[in-house]
Amino acid sequence: MTLKVFSIPALPRVNNGAARMLPVATTLLAAVVSVLPVQIPGYAALTPVFTLMAAYHWTIYRPDLLPPIALFAIGLTEDLLAGSPIGVNALLLLLTRVAVLGYRRYFINRNFPFVWTGFTLLAAAAMLGLWALHCMLDLSILDFRNAVVRAALTVAMFPLASFMLGRAQRAVMGTG
Amino acid sequence: MIRLSPQMRTAIQRTTLPVLVLLSAGIVLLGKADQLFFDSLRTSVTDSVAPVLDGMARPLNALGSIVDHAKMVVTTYQENLRLSAENEKLLQWQQTALNLDAENRQLRGLLKAVPKTSVSYATARVIANSGGAFVRSILINAGTEDRVRRGQAAITGEGLVGRLTEVGDRAARVLLITDLNSRIPVTVENNVPAVLAGDNSERPRLMYLASSDAVKVGDRIVTSGEGGIFPPGLAVGVVSAADAGGVRVEPYVELSQLGYVLVVDYGLSNALPQPLPMLTRPSRRPKGDTTEGAGR
Repeated sequence: MTLKVFSIPALPRVNNGAARMLPVATTLLAAVVSVLPVQIPGYAALTPVFTLMAAYHWTIYRPDLLPPIALFAIGLTEDLLAGSPIGVNALLLLLTRVAVLGYRRYFINRNFPFVWTGFTLLAAAAMLGLWALHCMLDLSILDFRNAVVRAALTVAMFPLASFMLGRAQRAVMGTG
Repeated sequence: MIRLSPQMRTAIQRTTLPVLVLLSAGIVLLGKADQLFFDSLRTSVTDSVAPVLDGMARPLNALGSIVDHAKMVVTTYQENLRLSAENEKLLQWQQTALNLDAENRQLRGLLKAVPKTSVSYATARVIANSGGAFVRSILINAGTEDRVRRGQAAITGEGLVGRLTEVGDRAARVLLITDLNSRIPVTVENNVPAVLAGDNSERPRLMYLASSDAVKVGDRIVTSGEGGIFPPGLAVGVVSAADAGGVRVEPYVELSQLGYVLVVDYGLSNALPQPLPMLTRPSRRPKGDTTEGAGR
């Protein structure tokens, strides 16, 4: 699955208002989807981190359209909705941007398996960081296996998310 | 828009990200240090997103009930046998309960005891749950507009679900009994007081038991009503393990399958408790009664 990517020097100017909102809208949608009550036993504890997938995808392909302030606001919204300590998801998404921007040039012209591998590393680091942060905030050692399974599920769901985001990107932004 | 020089603009762009990272870290610490600081922000955000979540949760609920219906069709014969047997047992329990009720009233009259307060319920749908295992809470679509208040208990027909911690106008957050911060005063069947403490796992722990011999596997755990927060006698769960690792309770409620909850208002009115509707025998024409009675 190869996504048509933009060349590194210049991101094409997107004039269409709806197209400019697409990255923010899809990331916000990911935040809302992550708190939906799905009645599968055990799902609540293992919900994949959909906002991480969206932030990763858009920071690689259109970092100009998902600025830090948007990531901050969406992260805060996700915290407020999910009931997690406020600021945690904002911090997570912003650090994702920091990490991905630095290595963006390695991913931008590669095929999907490479991008997926990059996401695997990011998800592993993110879940480890989340777990450590929650341990510090709650002052107790929390269950690490749960974090591992959740990271695995997030990585497994990434191809689907990436496919849908790529399709939306091509459809709305009109680049083949 | 203010006209900024290109240098100014790039300077702002460069510093935005680190500033926001630091700001988020600061918010995390502030939120932990002062829990109430962001409460009003939290309730206003959940209030505004609640209609969206409510709308999105409905098709999911519908899907869940379609699957349930399909399952019911497949297992009809088995279910029928099981339900008939259960019904017979429940009718016997009803007789016992009525006898106990009569005896109770007599004894209360003799003791000139204060009449029990009545309990009313508000029904709410679950519109969101928290992602991840570090927080166990759900959002329900009942708020102050539905006369729901902070601290009230949320239950289902099977048992206790949790406690309302933040209540907005249209939505409220329920801290489940499995959450790390949940502490519920309970009693074990034979009147041994304890506290049910969640730890983000599926089976919360029983703490502050006077002695660990007082409890064995299979004992029923109910709320004790200490502190006047919860009505006493709400079913919570059953002891599933009692060994060196501590006492673990399996909740009666299947917390991952919550669709609707009842929020209990332990009212302060002096109205007499409402009588239980009678269960009807299957052979007679059913009057469509449900077994939902007023709680005590």
